[in-house]
Amino acid sequence: MKLKFFIPIFVFFPVVLIQLTVIPFVSVQGVVPDLLLIAVVYLSISYGQIFGTVTGASYGLLYDFISGTLIGSHMLSKTVAAFVAGYFSSETKRDKYLYTYSFSVVIFISGLIDATIFSFFSVIDFNTNIFLALFNHALMPSIYSSIVSIMVVIAPYRRTFQ
Amino acid sequence: MFRFLSHVWNRFKEYFILTLLVILSLTLLSQNNKPQIQKVRAFAFGSFAIVSSVFYDLFNITQLKNENITLRQTNAELMLQLSTLREQGILNNELIGLLKFKDTTSLPITPATIVSKSLSITQNTITINAGTLNGIKPGMPLITYKGLVGIIQDCSDNFSIARTLNNVDLKLTVKNEKNRLNGIMKWDGEKLTIIDVPKAYDFGIGDRIVTSELSSIIPVPIPVGIVNKIEEEQTGLLNLVQVTPFEDVMTVEHVFVMMIVENEEKNKLELNFYNRK
Repeated sequence: MKLKFFIPIFVFFPVVLIQLTVIPFVSVQGVVPDLLLIAVVYLSISYGQIFGTVTGASYGLLYDFISGTLIGSHMLSKTVAAFVAGYFSSETKRDKYLYTYSFSVVIFISGLIDATIFSFFSVIDFNTNIFLALFNHALMPSIYSSIVSIMVVIAPYRRTFQ
Repeated sequence: MFRFLSHVWNRFKEYFILTLLVILSLTLLSQNNKPQIQKVRAFAFGSFAIVSSVFYDLFNITQLKNENITLRQTNAELMLQLSTLREQGILNNELIGLLKFKDTTSLPITPATIVSKSLSITQNTITINAGTLNGIKPGMPLITYKGLVGIIQDCSDNFSIARTLNNVDLKLTVKNEKNRLNGIMKWDGEKLTIIDVPKAYDFGIGDRIVTSELSSIIPVPIPVGIVNKIEEEQTGLLNLVQVTPFEDVMTVEHVFVMMIVENEEKNKLELNFYNRK
């Protein structure tokens, strides 16, 4: 059995633990970075689109159960976000998008998609200004996540899982 | 035929998998209120909360000093209020006795500590270290000394998960303490708002908002917040009343669960959303 199939399991619990216990202390006006998304995108670029999409769905579902959000909402948003991140994964592109600051750009794009889909199941109704809602609920968390993802690029142990 | 299907699969397998997972997600979204799903959820967050409670305590130590200062100040303020209330309570009991009114009994509360927070702008939830073994049930209000924090959504044996005021799925019947006018309050993703308030209703900036007796979830008046802005709805017929909550759910660490026993007779008459199957 390949080691890569166990990596998402080893990564998931520490990441969620930090997301639910430490990250609330660094929230800015209720906006927090999404570490789970960063992990999903990293795995999606590292191991390919299908692997990333399935990991995204699994992470999203487990997070829905643990965090008490609407079951299926994170699953859907993380699935699509990981699928999109998978387009940045290929033999030629991998190093470019994983080990340079382009990784933050991919996180921003995936984060925008993730948060937009998630918002549709939580905040959008007939009285909502869609553009304003997306600005507040999708753009801000995506920017924060992409800033935090710079740490992944500069982390010295980034090649551990390769 | 097989070769054709194999070719199609190889060419579009990413899209097939995506479609399958999206359908699965949408199916789960429609099954949220099923008891089986709720049981799995209770098991999942209950198990995870055991670990997260240890971590949360470690990171929480730094906040304790500031909290102690605030608590000392609040204690002093409460002592002053208490002496006033004692006087009024004695007088109230005398008057109730004279009028032969049935008074409400005191409501028991259970202390709990927050062990994890799922900070989302729209679906904010918190996990506390008290569960069904402590007598906690879904629907019980979560309060601090300042006011309402949220409502218990799901319980495991030792932990419970609660929707905070910053959760779009939590809608409450509230009233203006000054003039007893009722309204529905909800979180719209950015602010707490009492929606569809007729323009004739006398809401003013600075009015205190408390939970309403009309609510089948919280039938006792608990302070919620203060009116900070009144704006016209898009139709121009109604007002939207913005409320600043007394308790900031982002910074709260310790809470109390009000052990309110649901009024069965009332719930049979009203549709309490927790009883919907």
